[in-house]
Amino acid sequence: MNFELTEEQQLIGQSARDFGKQYIEPIAVELDHTGEYPKALVQALAKHDFMGLLLPDDVGGAAAGFVSYVEVIEDLSRYCAAVASIVNNHTIAAYVIQQWGTADQKKEYLPSLAKGELLGGVAIYEHGPTPGVGAEALVATKQDVGYVLNGKKAFVRNAGEAGVYVVFAITDPALGAKSLTAFLVKAAAIGVTVGEKLETMGLKGCPVADLTFENVVLAETALLGTVNGGAAIASQALAVASVAEAAQTVGIGQAAVEHAAAYAKQRVQFGKPVATLQAIQTLLAEVATDCHLARLGLRNAALLIEEGKPFEVEAAMVKSFLARLGSKMLIDTCQVEGGFGYSESMPLPRMFRDIAGTNLLDAPGDFPEKLIAASIA
Amino acid sequence: MSILSPEQKSIQQAAKEFVAKVIIPNAAKFDKSGEFPMLLLEASKPSNIFAMAVPKEFGGLNYDALTQALVLEEWGYGCAGMGTTLAASVLSMDSVLIAGTDEQKRRYFKPMLNAEIGSFGLTEPGAGSDAAAGTATAVKKGDEYILNGTKCWITNGGFATVYVIFANTDPAAGVKGISAFIVERGLPGFTIGTTDHKLGIRASNTVELLLKDVHVPATNLLGKEGEGMKIAMKTLDMARPAIAALSVGIAQRALDTCVAHVHARFPGKPFPGQTLQFKLADMQILVEAARETLHQAMQLRDAGVPYSKESAICKTFCSDVAMQVSATAVSLMGSYGYTSELGKYMRDSKIMQIYEGTNQIQRLVISRAVLAHAPAAGAAQKAGK
Amino acid sequence: MPKCLVCYKWTLDEQDIKIKPEDLSLDASRAKGKISDFDRNAIEEAALLVEKNGGAVDALTYGTATVKQSLKDALSRGPAKVYWIADASAESADAAVTANVLAAAIRKIGPYDLILCGEGSSDMFNQQTAARLAALLGIPCLTFLQKLSGEGAVVSATRKLEDGTEEVSVTGPVVVSVLSEINKPRIPTMKQVLGASKKPNEEIKIADLGLKPEDLVPKATRSTVKGFVMQRKNVMFKESSAADNVAKLKAGLASEGLI
Repeated sequence: MNFELTEEQQLIGQSARDFGKQYIEPIAVELDHTGEYPKALVQALAKHDFMGLLLPDDVGGAAAGFVSYVEVIEDLSRYCAAVASIVNNHTIAAYVIQQWGTADQKKEYLPSLAKGELLGGVAIYEHGPTPGVGAEALVATKQDVGYVLNGKKAFVRNAGEAGVYVVFAITDPALGAKSLTAFLVKAAAIGVTVGEKLETMGLKGCPVADLTFENVVLAETALLGTVNGGAAIASQALAVASVAEAAQTVGIGQAAVEHAAAYAKQRVQFGKPVATLQAIQTLLAEVATDCHLARLGLRNAALLIEEGKPFEVEAAMVKSFLARLGSKMLIDTCQVEGGFGYSESMPLPRMFRDIAGTNLLDAPGDFPEKLIAASIA
Repeated sequence: MSILSPEQKSIQQAAKEFVAKVIIPNAAKFDKSGEFPMLLLEASKPSNIFAMAVPKEFGGLNYDALTQALVLEEWGYGCAGMGTTLAASVLSMDSVLIAGTDEQKRRYFKPMLNAEIGSFGLTEPGAGSDAAAGTATAVKKGDEYILNGTKCWITNGGFATVYVIFANTDPAAGVKGISAFIVERGLPGFTIGTTDHKLGIRASNTVELLLKDVHVPATNLLGKEGEGMKIAMKTLDMARPAIAALSVGIAQRALDTCVAHVHARFPGKPFPGQTLQFKLADMQILVEAARETLHQAMQLRDAGVPYSKESAICKTFCSDVAMQVSATAVSLMGSYGYTSELGKYMRDSKIMQIYEGTNQIQRLVISRAVLAHAPAAGAAQKAGK
Repeated sequence: MPKCLVCYKWTLDEQDIKIKPEDLSLDASRAKGKISDFDRNAIEEAALLVEKNGGAVDALTYGTATVKQSLKDALSRGPAKVYWIADASAESADAAVTANVLAAAIRKIGPYDLILCGEGSSDMFNQQTAARLAALLGIPCLTFLQKLSGEGAVVSATRKLEDGTEEVSVTGPVVVSVLSEINKPRIPTMKQVLGASKKPNEEIKIADLGLKPEDLVPKATRSTVKGFVMQRKNVMFKESSAADNVAKLKAGLASEGLI
């Protein structure tokens, strides 16, 4: 068993870090202040083939494996997790189309998604208790030809900038979530409204908003996968996304612990650098350890994805681990830097706000522990 | 939960009402802008709450320790930034309570009766946890001291009327050469430096203070020369629980917000399964336990019993609880947590573990107390103090 | 279209090397490899020339067994093919040995019109390989290049000298060595990295180069390599105000003649 990345994966990571240093680092603070979608940067990302990483080369993608992908996400996240979020949400949308799309759907969307000319987003969650339940549940009513969508989707990432959304709607309120079905909806479709951009604690620059669908007419060809087969797609998409999100957490944590360690080596109190104090050593060591173990865990899950093997349990384990310990990485590194870890003139506060957005438990009742327990009991 | 006297209950109720009326409606606005909420001081005048720690003979409310904690918990519940403004003002007046003459007390406390605030100036760029490493100087000249130095991370510094500033009267004597002074706003050479933009408690004012040949009358010296660090340590001992109180307030607020959201998102029963429910139960356990350590410390103080260890325990535990509960709240409530005021509680919590003595310094205090005496071997022990 | 070859060295990344404070010895156990800095500029310059004028560029490297780790890295930066020689002799090789090996290899796989090298390697920085190589091949050598262009058979360049620059041109085969300011190597795109594994690499066995044993023995031997730690003056300014500290710092720097 080889725990090391292959040469190729290491080179990919090096390129991603070099890109991050040259293009992302100079704008990270400004992006956090304005929260404005970084259009020029996304173009640069596309030019370096970061927007079509998982797509096959016959549609213009880079055909990178999933392990390479999470390596890129981790490296971009070191510099600015908001940028990694944009890439990740886009990539998952493209991945879903690649996995479940018809030849025509792939032809229509994948080449421009791969080039980064078209941005993708995924709309799963709702404000109600679970998708498909409640007054604003998104319902796709079958017509003679096609469907009509009515309802609302909540907290959609890349909302407002995406040109196409993978949208999950129920077809039969009586069946509820069992009738969840996936559709491809163009942002420009009549009746699709993007709500006001939501104020997020961090990851500013990756827009989040609700989507409202009012009598949106969809052709038969907008159906993605099978009727009432959306739950399986959503579940797989979320599981794959969670592994990449874990890479975001680890990237931020790694950047934070390196910054805190460098700070501790030069901050002198009581006559010595605080890095010599066991209290500080403990804080740094725990974060470095959690980061390292999480990285190994997510790489394992990523390799399983790459090899087409079952991976959902391993992905859930990483998610569960980081839901408990992800934010601790920044709680502890900010502690190391004391007052400087609380001042927005330093980088850690931004990372504190960003990391909290990478381990959200968005599906109550669907905690990762449920899946893990099912696999062993 | 402590048994409160009718008077304490009514003061707590008054604080709740004030918070609901003045603090909660303005919290988000000042968190966003980072501006100092002058309206808070204005609105506090009728209640005289900024004089809650001032003895009756000087016109204050003279609230006991537990009552002060009740008030600060409510303010922390409303907005920890605004709560910090009150807590830090009380912190500075604690120094004067400990070491001031009646005349000094009268002078220092007077502005507080008008909802003006005080500021405690100990920290310097090179003196954080190592408070004794400060390099500010105070040179005696006739019946004056001339102060020079830079202080940083000073709460209320930009808006205070009175300050307690620590400076070296005898740099060669190390920690025994530090003295404490009352400094009034507006003295020539005493200027406010840059304002720090923070991760949280953004409504609280945090600034640099610059002292360049500031002439301070010798009658402003608190206690004797060289007693500065002793005064500072005693002050922080007294003031630690204030942070614990703010922390309990934040934690309770985060928990209440989660519960409200769960009700809104899942109208009618059943609530989503045990995982979520038990996480809420764990949060409740922590908040209640945290409140107990705070109240215990305050009851010891009000009874005149030494409470340094308990003070350190409640500051550490309550702030750690606030951090844990607010972080869990954000994660548990998912994207709602990330786009709502739950983010503010998480941001506000972080500083509670850092300021007024980091939780690492607190553990030094606690571990010393724990290791002070070996317990008798064998037989069951009563928890001793 | 000139046939180009770029020679590069696979060295240890000096950022990963730790200096042991007790005896200044080096701990390179965690050091990763990298293409020597100036060689990276040479590869980039070759890639730019090919993008402008057409043709293709090959890469050539001589090192120990670790040189195999460099192949994809080099291929992701423009060369169409990489030739590699992995031999234990590289461990102690000096510039003469290196030039012997490279020249023999070039005689085998060439001829080339333009051979690019970095001005010096990031570990040893002898700055001799290019000149020795040119001498062995019997062709001219242009060094200290900050600018390079090729028009047909003519290579024109700007050399950076201590007190100015010099414009030169050569017709026919030439060896050049480039400075870091000649270009800023671009970051390989994902497709370039992934495409590297599809490009060919060819091992050249040192035994097939027709070298005599003494050609592989360095005349200058390296006895020890030690780290250099700059001694700090550790002057502390402890005035009571930041303004006074700045004044003292200013005076201190002025008295040292630094400002």
